[in-house]
Amino acid sequence: MRTRSLVGVFVLLGFLTFFPSGWVQAQTIKIGINAELTGDIPKVGEGTKFAAQMWLEDVKAAGGLAVGGKKYPVELVIEDNESKAESAVKAATKMITEDGVLVMVGPQASKQAVPAGGIANNYKTPMITPWSTNPDTTKDRPFVFRACFLDPFQGPVLANFITQEFKFTKAAVLYDVASDYPKGLAEFFKKAWEGLHGPGSVVAYESFTTKDTDFSSQLTKINNSGAQVLFTPQYYNEVALIVQQAHQLGWKKPIVGSDSWGSAETVSLCGKDCYGLFFSTHYAAAGATGATKAFIDRYQKKHGYVPDDVAALTWDAMLLVQKAIEDTGGLTGDLKKDRENVRSAMGRITKFKGITGEMTFSGGGDPSKCAVIVRISDKGQFEFYKSACP
Amino acid sequence: MGGERGNGANSERGRSRFRNLWKPYSRVPLLGWFFGALVAVTLERLAGTPLAQFLGLQKIPVLFGFSVMLKNPVLIPNVILYTLIIYGVPTAVATRLCIPLANGIAASLFRFPMAVTAAAHLALLYAILHVWAEISDYRVLVLRLTLIAVMLTLSLNVINGYMGEFSCSHPGFMALGAYCASVLTIGLFVNAQLLGTASLPAALGPFLFPVALILGGLVASFGALFVAIPSFRTRGDYLAIISLAFLFIVKSLIENLEFVRGPRGLSGQPDWADLPTVFLWTVLCVWSINNFVRSTIGKALNAVRDNEMAADAMTVDTRRTKMVAFLFGAFWAGVAGGLFAHVMRYVNPGNFGIQNLAEVLAMVYFGGLNSVYGSIVGAVSISLLGEALRPLEIFKWIIIPLLLILVMIFRPTGLIAFRDLDVANLLKPKPKPDGEG
Repeated sequence: MRTRSLVGVFVLLGFLTFFPSGWVQAQTIKIGINAELTGDIPKVGEGTKFAAQMWLEDVKAAGGLAVGGKKYPVELVIEDNESKAESAVKAATKMITEDGVLVMVGPQASKQAVPAGGIANNYKTPMITPWSTNPDTTKDRPFVFRACFLDPFQGPVLANFITQEFKFTKAAVLYDVASDYPKGLAEFFKKAWEGLHGPGSVVAYESFTTKDTDFSSQLTKINNSGAQVLFTPQYYNEVALIVQQAHQLGWKKPIVGSDSWGSAETVSLCGKDCYGLFFSTHYAAAGATGATKAFIDRYQKKHGYVPDDVAALTWDAMLLVQKAIEDTGGLTGDLKKDRENVRSAMGRITKFKGITGEMTFSGGGDPSKCAVIVRISDKGQFEFYKSACP
Repeated sequence: MGGERGNGANSERGRSRFRNLWKPYSRVPLLGWFFGALVAVTLERLAGTPLAQFLGLQKIPVLFGFSVMLKNPVLIPNVILYTLIIYGVPTAVATRLCIPLANGIAASLFRFPMAVTAAAHLALLYAILHVWAEISDYRVLVLRLTLIAVMLTLSLNVINGYMGEFSCSHPGFMALGAYCASVLTIGLFVNAQLLGTASLPAALGPFLFPVALILGGLVASFGALFVAIPSFRTRGDYLAIISLAFLFIVKSLIENLEFVRGPRGLSGQPDWADLPTVFLWTVLCVWSINNFVRSTIGKALNAVRDNEMAADAMTVDTRRTKMVAFLFGAFWAGVAGGLFAHVMRYVNPGNFGIQNLAEVLAMVYFGGLNSVYGSIVGAVSISLLGEALRPLEIFKWIIIPLLLILVMIFRPTGLIAFRDLDVANLLKPKPKPDGEG
């Protein structure tokens, strides 16, 4: 009896070997979302996932994505990268080689986006990271794009803004030396400021290390340096401490920040101390109009809080992907060719009106887009003050 | 196959038939299992795709279908059927059929020197992994990272298991090795600005890669001196804190070194850590650590762990023993770090933090202290489990720790603790026991 069942198995296998491969399936467009759903920054992953799902709802309501006169159903492949570089690489490899995604959106943080970008570029799959600001993410990688502006742009924007707005000539900088983003931005700001006001015009250039909570020695030095303005490109939890301690030590001059201030937590932690301060960012939630307002209202209604810049940038990234796919003029069904077409379509996108500003990809993977200068109002809301374009 | 239904005598007969079915497998040498696995992976290569499509799966399930099952529970029976048809049945059948042949070959191989026998087995093992991984690049990547995890776990087991100290500096050693190897390969072959010398021809690369890895290991060993020296005076919790401090020192050192681009990280490592390279280094690592812990110094290490003063009285040079073990463990952690950097092709000081430490420690304690088997089992199971359960997102971080807690309750020293890996015993042929004809 055993022999008979064995024979049966082998016959079945032999039959399967010659089975014509597969049924013809309706071609779906798969979009990979490589997000930090667990780990250090789960809030970032959550914003990414929610924004992507909102986009998918819209597409589904429209009956699919219309490319070249034909509607294709869309599917999101959401993978958790655990805020770990190796998991981001595994997730990227899996969605590209196994799930066959047309485009990958994410990862958000540079620690994950740089290695995942290498994978996307190797497999010639377009990838767009909404939030990563490390130049290495897109450098020499024709298939990797991003939806945010870069630090070499933001630094000069802030230097110009302070110069024009306050007519100051002496600035102080306080930054975290152990963290990628603040360190880079501090350097770019210093360079731009010294370009405007000559060497030595950054009168205090002070640093600390991640998780420090006492800044009094650095702030005393800054107080005594004769600086007219303090620039600190830190995250919300440090911003609150820095601003409050500076005020306690008698600092009455302006403090200016960067897009890392753009979290709802900044005001709730910092309170009145932060009212009236300026920072540059991707979009201003309070007083937004048009599509931006529609997005914010919808997100808030669904998830109960005002979306931060990650969600807004992800939304724009999804729309960029949609536009690039539509611009290809039709899918061939050959994933390799389609990926190539989407990449070149994305590289050609000009004057794309996103909720975080108008974007143009001129050749490389970094968009040229405007930054927004936001003032924290006396009610603690982020108010649009002016926009600064390249 | 075995009829387990029915009642009374019927079920008794079923059970005995099952026992009879299983009986021949006790005589299968390792070589036989390898044959069976090779048949299974070859079969998947030939018939996997049509079978998967026939069963309504879009593609061959990559990691035994875990992600398919978790995302779409309707397909669970299909995935199980696939796994049985491709892996279960062919392995069982092929292994059963070639028992006499495998025993014959194993016996004739056994007459050669042990090195030849082991090499033949390893070649077969590599062939299995290679054919299995060739289906998809994702498998290759998971396999490479799993092998690196094996190296790390083993090297930590030398210190935490065999020596009985609680060292927390392993990611630090790994970082040293990763950065040293990366600086060498990037500086010499990719970007001339890093080291300020002219680039060497790329053809030399694969030959110099082992040198870079070994240098990375040596740098990590050198770093280990700073933990080893205080370890003469402290034990237990105090050493844990010193080694944790070392981890932070290494991390902030790299963050502040502009030369290696500080917190921005170093990218662009050449793609030299392919599957054969990683496999070869893992084999070297397992072999050398297994020999190390079975040597006199390994036994001395155990003596130091059990009672340092008694060991000292019994003429064990405790200082030298601890020093050697620390440097040896750190060396392999450094090599693993170098390989990791070249698999990821990007290193960032943030990669080598507390989270990384927690993972390696979990692998060591899950698999089993003081055991080479245990380290391999721990590293492979935690790596694969972590990968397979990733679609569960946050629940994964509940399931895996829960498993660890259960293991700690029922087997406090880990799954396979205090077991020697005796290569000769593992590879020997298993002819019929004397009692039977």
